[in-house]
Amino acid sequence: MATVECRNLCKSYGSHEVIRNFNLSISDHEFIVFLGPSGCGKSTILRMVAGLEEITGGDLFIGGARVNDRDPGDRGIAMVFQNYALYPHMSVRENITFALERAGTSRDEIRRRLDPVVETLGLDIYLGRKPTELSGGQQQRVAIARAMIKTPEVFLFDEPLSNLDAKLRGHLRVEIARLHRALNTTSVYVTHDQLEAMTLADRIVLMNQGRIEQMGTPEEIYSRPATVFTAGFIGTPSMNFFSLDAGEGRLRNADIDLAAPFPLRAGKVTLGIRPGAIRLVPEGTPDAIAATVERDEFHGDMRLISLNAGAESFMVSVPAATRLSEGERVLAHLDPASLHVFDAESGQRLGD
Amino acid sequence: MKLSTLLLRIVLACAALMVLLPLLWTLLNAFKTNADLLVNTPKLIFTPVWDNMQYVLGRRSVARALTNSLVICSSAVAMGALLGVPAAYVIARVKNRLTREAQFFALSLRFLPPVAVAIPMMVIWLGLGFYDTRFALIVTYMTITISITVWLSIPAFERVPIAVEEAARVDRLGPYATFFRVALPIARPQILAAIAFSFILVWNEFLLAMMLSTSKARTLPVVASEMSQLGMNVPWGVLNAAVVLLSLPPLILLAVAGAGMNSVFSRKSTQD
Amino acid sequence: MRVGRSLPYVFLGPALLVLVILAAVPTLYAVNLSLQNRTLSAPQAEYVWLANYLKLFSDDRFLNALWVSLKWEVLTVSATMAVGIGLAIAMFEAATRRWRMILSVLFIIPVLLPRVCAAFVWKFSFHPLYGAVTWPVRALTGQTPDVLAHPWGAMLTVAFVDVWQWGLFFAVIILKLMEALPPQPIEAARIDKAKGWEIHRFVTLPMLKLPLISLLLVKAIESLRSFDLVYVMTRGGPGVSTETLDMYAYSQGFIEAGNISYASSMAVIMMVLTVILFTSIWKRLNK
Ligand SMILES: Nc1ncnc2c1ncn2[C@@H]1O[C@H](COP(=O)(O)OP(=O)(O)OP(=O)(O)O)[C@@H](O)[C@H]1O
Ligand SMILES: [Mg+2]
Repeated sequence: MATVECRNLCKSYGSHEVIRNFNLSISDHEFIVFLGPSGCGKSTILRMVAGLEEITGGDLFIGGARVNDRDPGDRGIAMVFQNYALYPHMSVRENITFALERAGTSRDEIRRRLDPVVETLGLDIYLGRKPTELSGGQQQRVAIARAMIKTPEVFLFDEPLSNLDAKLRGHLRVEIARLHRALNTTSVYVTHDQLEAMTLADRIVLMNQGRIEQMGTPEEIYSRPATVFTAGFIGTPSMNFFSLDAGEGRLRNADIDLAAPFPLRAGKVTLGIRPGAIRLVPEGTPDAIAATVERDEFHGDMRLISLNAGAESFMVSVPAATRLSEGERVLAHLDPASLHVFDAESGQRLGD
Repeated sequence: MKLSTLLLRIVLACAALMVLLPLLWTLLNAFKTNADLLVNTPKLIFTPVWDNMQYVLGRRSVARALTNSLVICSSAVAMGALLGVPAAYVIARVKNRLTREAQFFALSLRFLPPVAVAIPMMVIWLGLGFYDTRFALIVTYMTITISITVWLSIPAFERVPIAVEEAARVDRLGPYATFFRVALPIARPQILAAIAFSFILVWNEFLLAMMLSTSKARTLPVVASEMSQLGMNVPWGVLNAAVVLLSLPPLILLAVAGAGMNSVFSRKSTQD
Repeated sequence: MRVGRSLPYVFLGPALLVLVILAAVPTLYAVNLSLQNRTLSAPQAEYVWLANYLKLFSDDRFLNALWVSLKWEVLTVSATMAVGIGLAIAMFEAATRRWRMILSVLFIIPVLLPRVCAAFVWKFSFHPLYGAVTWPVRALTGQTPDVLAHPWGAMLTVAFVDVWQWGLFFAVIILKLMEALPPQPIEAARIDKAKGWEIHRFVTLPMLKLPLISLLLVKAIESLRSFDLVYVMTRGGPGVSTETLDMYAYSQGFIEAGNISYASSMAVIMMVLTVILFTSIWKRLNK
């Protein structure tokens, strides 16, 4: 087991800087998830930790030792790749034991370690097959087994489930969570799937354009997004945003006029609220927004309603039994406790 | 069935017969006596004789040419594989200006007209005292085998996923071990096909062999072509027998390489 | 990706070194030879500089060989492409999967045969007295047609053997290319009621334009290797009607005069022509 520490990590391809001054310290046993939009540099950092990508600046410590110049094989890591990257010319068994054989582990020891791994992942009956004779999910399980048997200090996962269908993805996600609880190995996991991040992570590192946008537990990130970017990136259906002017204890624009949830300096703000925190209320309720129904999407357990209030449009989720017709006029009430206020200029969260 | 389909099938059948008939005919002719062969109306029914084959196989020059061909071709192919396959790996993996130029250079050697190589080569080998030796032909043929092996092996290595090699590095393989234990085994079927193809090219080579040898290092194609000049009476039966023998190795290689390629294709289709 | 520090040099260096030596030495040597008046019989020689080249351009046989080579290139390349495309479309349209496999194997065989063998097989088939191809003519008219004795007949027959080897092989490659095309455009064309030939004329062949041009180039390069066929089938005859450049260079350098320097100057001209031509075309294509 080990800690991982990135100090001012930088990466550039030629003159093109992809990562700049990346700082992160991962404690022992922690499960860290890198989350972010495509191209934001998640894989790059993971691969720098793995040693597959040269570090162009800063220091990387694994278990307290500086490993910048160590080969991937000497960093005490194991990696699960997006496309599995199994050796196609070896059987499943050889794939799993290859690294141990390379390290000169004795035959008995290998057999002793193989059995529990194979059993945990349910691979017993496939040991003799070639990777090409397995389904995607089975291949990914072999890839996990190959990483697991090494009993590494740190597990690295680069979007391990993104090539699988939704159902299998859910299944393997649970399996990975179970494995982590059993092994408790420090893990870094890259994904762009929110659900994976939310369910697996001890801590989420949300990235944007090579920087850390916000770092925290899933609850923190969801309930107290530090920036507009985080607020918009996390949560489905995604958050509604309004551009408003703050002043005199109120937030308003041409179509909306609300009480400010806490005292605010006068100026432009961005107000965010999740569709689930808006309720449709009866005629006459104070501090509500008059709107017309534009569209009604049935999502099974609820309905997602698009509303129009003058130039503003926003989404509300309502119980599935609610019946609304297009063009109908309604009143929407925003739960004051669930309002997120951001500075319009910097995008930073205001208030607590 | 539509008329157009029928017509196309007839065309295809004709093309297939154009391949099969001459080959089968040559095979039959190899077992005919001259009396059966040199007739106005071609004969289908005849008593086969082994004489032609025996004559060809029994001739000292043929035996020597066969040895020459085997030694020269396999040495040149082995050298081509030894130098060409690793070079192709680097060209496939390291993409920069130098490797791009190297790739094109390997191809451009094929642009050289063979006579343009043969004439100076002959003078050079004469000057060095290696004219009419196997060594001279092996070295000359290496131009062909190296460049073709490089050219055909590059796509084979490009198809090896980089992630697999990265996994190997995480499993503590150095660059050389990654090549020998991971990249090479994965690309093996296509590499073997490339090597087989380079063998066929030099096995069939005629012009260089003829111009760079007079007797000691003569290869099979040259000896076969010489048989047509044994006086006025062209021994057609013997010639047919020689053609059959000379054609066998490429066809055998086709069968072997074909089986290899087939296994590649079937494996690919299960993967998709 | 990183492939280690020493590996690129260790792996690529020797091959490049050997290839550069094997390419540069004969080339420079040929240029050097072509500037002298060396013959096979007399080892003593002196520099005559450009005399050989000047002589070439007043040599009718050389100009004839140039013309024959040009005819040969155009004839074999165009016929090979036509046969290849035609048979590929025929297989694509009219053959089942199974038959495509069988035909593909069959069509690959000729190109793998030694050219010397192919030449013999067909030379005997076209033999005026005993050939199987000429037999129907013999049986019907009683004449003994000797195509190889006729200037154009010889050219066409040799070209036929070349196309027999390469055209069928190209048919297989083009078929594989067609099979690898995405099926949607073809299906869209079907829905638009295009006829069979129209689909290929307007959809498949335009989509294959680049690979087809590459194939054409490959054939143009391989057509330079006509020597074996010509040597076995006609020796450049009748007269000089099938004497290509390499055939003429060979007979100048070896058979008739042993005039190596003169042959070298021809070789140099061929080298310059082909290398410059093909390099510029290839680079432009792959830009
Ligand atoms: N070899 C390279 N040369 C130049 N730029 C590169 C190279 N590899 C990656 N990049 C750039 O680095 C940035 C980060 O890439 P990275 O692969 O880390 O993204 P990612 O967050 O993993 O995205 P995804 O979710 O799509 O995998 C991208 O903008 C990419 O264009
Ligand atoms: Mg990535």
